[in-house]
Amino acid sequence: MVEIEKNGDYVKVEQKFTSWRDLLKPVTEKDFKPGFYHYPILKRDAEQLGIPYRDWDPLEPDWKLPEGWKETFLNKFKELLEKNRQFKLFMDICVRCGACADKCHYYIGTGDPKNMPVARAELLRSIYRRYFTKVGKIFGEWAGARELTEDVIKELYYYLYQCSLCRRCSAFCPYGIDTADIVWRGREMLQSIGTVQRFSYISIAACARTGNHLGLLPGGVAGALQSVAEDVYDITGVEIEVPINKKGADILFVAPSADYFATPHWYVCMGYLMLFHELEERYGFSYTWSTYASEGGNFGTFASYELAQKLSHKIYEEAERLGVKWILGGECGHMWRDKHQFMATMNPPPKTLEDPVSPITGTYFENAAEAKIVHIAEFVADLIEHKKINLDKSRNDHWKVTFHDSCNPARGMGLYEEPRYVIKNVCNYFYEMPEHSIREKTYCCGSGGGLLADEVMELRMRGGMPRAMALKHVHKRYGVNYLCTICAIDKAAFPTLFEFWKLPVEVGGMMELVGNALIMSDEEQERELDLRGNPLKKSEE
Amino acid sequence: MSLVYLKLFIADVLPYIAGAIFIVGTINRVINWAKSPVPLKIPTTCGQQKSLPFIRRTWEDRLDSPYTMWETIGRMIVEVFLFRSLFRNTRYWLDKQKGVDTRWLWLFALLFHYSMLIILLRHLRFFANPVPGFLSIINALDGQPAYVPALYITGILALVALFWLWARRILCSRERNISYPADHLILALVAGILITGNLMRYFFKVDLYAVKEVALGIVSFHPASAAVVNQIGWIFFVHLSLVCITVAYLPFSKVMHFAGVFFSPTRNMPNDNRAHVHINPWNPPYHGITWQEYYEMYKDQLDEIAENGYKVKPEV
Repeated sequence: MVEIEKNGDYVKVEQKFTSWRDLLKPVTEKDFKPGFYHYPILKRDAEQLGIPYRDWDPLEPDWKLPEGWKETFLNKFKELLEKNRQFKLFMDICVRCGACADKCHYYIGTGDPKNMPVARAELLRSIYRRYFTKVGKIFGEWAGARELTEDVIKELYYYLYQCSLCRRCSAFCPYGIDTADIVWRGREMLQSIGTVQRFSYISIAACARTGNHLGLLPGGVAGALQSVAEDVYDITGVEIEVPINKKGADILFVAPSADYFATPHWYVCMGYLMLFHELEERYGFSYTWSTYASEGGNFGTFASYELAQKLSHKIYEEAERLGVKWILGGECGHMWRDKHQFMATMNPPPKTLEDPVSPITGTYFENAAEAKIVHIAEFVADLIEHKKINLDKSRNDHWKVTFHDSCNPARGMGLYEEPRYVIKNVCNYFYEMPEHSIREKTYCCGSGGGLLADEVMELRMRGGMPRAMALKHVHKRYGVNYLCTICAIDKAAFPTLFEFWKLPVEVGGMMELVGNALIMSDEEQERELDLRGNPLKKSEE
Repeated sequence: MSLVYLKLFIADVLPYIAGAIFIVGTINRVINWAKSPVPLKIPTTCGQQKSLPFIRRTWEDRLDSPYTMWETIGRMIVEVFLFRSLFRNTRYWLDKQKGVDTRWLWLFALLFHYSMLIILLRHLRFFANPVPGFLSIINALDGQPAYVPALYITGILALVALFWLWARRILCSRERNISYPADHLILALVAGILITGNLMRYFFKVDLYAVKEVALGIVSFHPASAAVVNQIGWIFFVHLSLVCITVAYLPFSKVMHFAGVFFSPTRNMPNDNRAHVHINPWNPPYHGITWQEYYEMYKDQLDEIAENGYKVKPEV
């Protein structure tokens, strides 16, 4: 047992070690710990999305599984094996070398052996062996196989929702086994028998209905953007007109809905509006927001292929309807796993889109040639490199900044240098966290992949421990007081996490720092406040 | 007398059975994988993507986040031959709350696999007459001529590495946790092969000419006679039986990772997703609301946005 210090207080992490037999023995509701299990899906969401619904409680012994659940589950398993080579392969080739074990932030933070990525995959592999391999059918437990029982379903529900799909383990696996993919399939099987969590399905249903995870109606989106513009006016004195649903704009801008709803995302949104306004004033940049495609993120990617497709489809449809040339995407984590790796495969890009060429610098974003969607960090880095915007770095002098690589832009896209390039050009004080916690080895915030629910708070705080400790290191060493991240879930999760671990560090996004540093040509007075309303440090003092 | 029949069975029949199971089993497995399509391009990107010309990509980035076909082939080569991902391995020290580079697993895994490869190559000299030149070179390099007979370094190294890997599964509590009987079984089989092989070479020597005759007999489909088989000591038959059992077991075991690694989409696909869109053969049609339906649902609010000229202004 290890005690981890947090400012005079301690959090205990007890590492438990069992045997291979215990690995096959299901953990059931008797052992579910508060703060680790999710509430079940709501009736209205299940009905809207066509998921079998029943009224059940994870803490009751009887989960009221639907009639024929075992057959339904195994049929789904078979279907997914036949449709997904990677899934079939990952069921077969693991050698249990254990390289992934202590790479999982949930394992590190909870010490629960079933949170090792290998053990998480074994939850499904054991069923796979029993029903889909001869060795498993004949030798049973001795071949690592087990019967599918109601208890096994309970265990799957408990542990498949203790994974944030961050793919850190996949970077270390000698065969590249992708636990996120396995967990995704597992959740898809659970969905077939209606045994899924509440949190992400609320947003999936809302997004399918209204176009964004928050369920904001068109008027709400417009109103929110108006409030952001008002805040920009308060700080800069510049009145910004925000284009919405505008046909004939050059570019469709898509951001996670949290950016115009939550804090500290809000400041990032102010940054977007300020930058686009400046580009409009100086270069005639033309873009638009959309209410129909008002969500960049895609919680469907936490659930199933079909739901992921359902949510990402709207973006291309809207781009075609508005007649834009290409799409620009905001700061978000899993959004970019979806936009980079999934969206264009799930929804063929419309022919009406044109080559993604920056209207200001003329740069052709060759790496987005077919999918026609460019990341804001790529776009801004290109503007800075061509000196198309004026920046005053000293406006960020009150921040000592570190950059948190969000899981998906890191391991699902390879976006490492672009945000760093931007940050170094808008801040004077930038420090990297320890090597084992950044770039492809970056730790999850602990709340991604559909785990941003309040009922799993303890899991989230423990899962975020490795990131918090890496931050503590640079906080103590360099006095870092600002963690910059390009993920909306990070921005929602970190403030709570740092409060728990007692770290006085603010959380914000890259575009907030850009917004602070940006010298707008129609700004008449010297800016005295940063976007949060903090007084700016005067350089002569 | 019946012992001769057992020896004849092991030398002349068992290798064919084992070989047939191995070949059919492996092909089956590979076809089974290949039958399922790859719906999404999901490389795990461990290096900088290719984007803007001024964003630098090192050669490591090119291998860890390949953009072109050749870079992807390069990634597979370093993965398969140098165990790139294991080289990245760290260990998390919970008491210090930090990760530290830990390359022991990489080192011993590499030692084990390369020793086994060289041992396999060395054995080819039994199956070829005359022995090809490169095999003699491997023999000469591997044999440590300070001893007679020459001591093969790989024979010892493979055993040392294997016991290191096994000890890890027994002594480290985390790895003990995840080790099934099957994981110990394959280690035991390979340990048996290595031990009997080493014993045969240094202590219980057998008639190598007779062994070669058996080996050539197998590959030329002219099974060795009872007279030849009888010249060989018992330990050879233990060694050969273990080899046959292991070979026949491989297609049903985790050792299939040797073929599987080539199929792994997180490693063998380029990170060029947005430049070249991947096609999913079973991509379902979209089910969800269209703009028109959305417009009908929220007509008032959408019309209001239109009336305001498709823009919002701050109220100041």
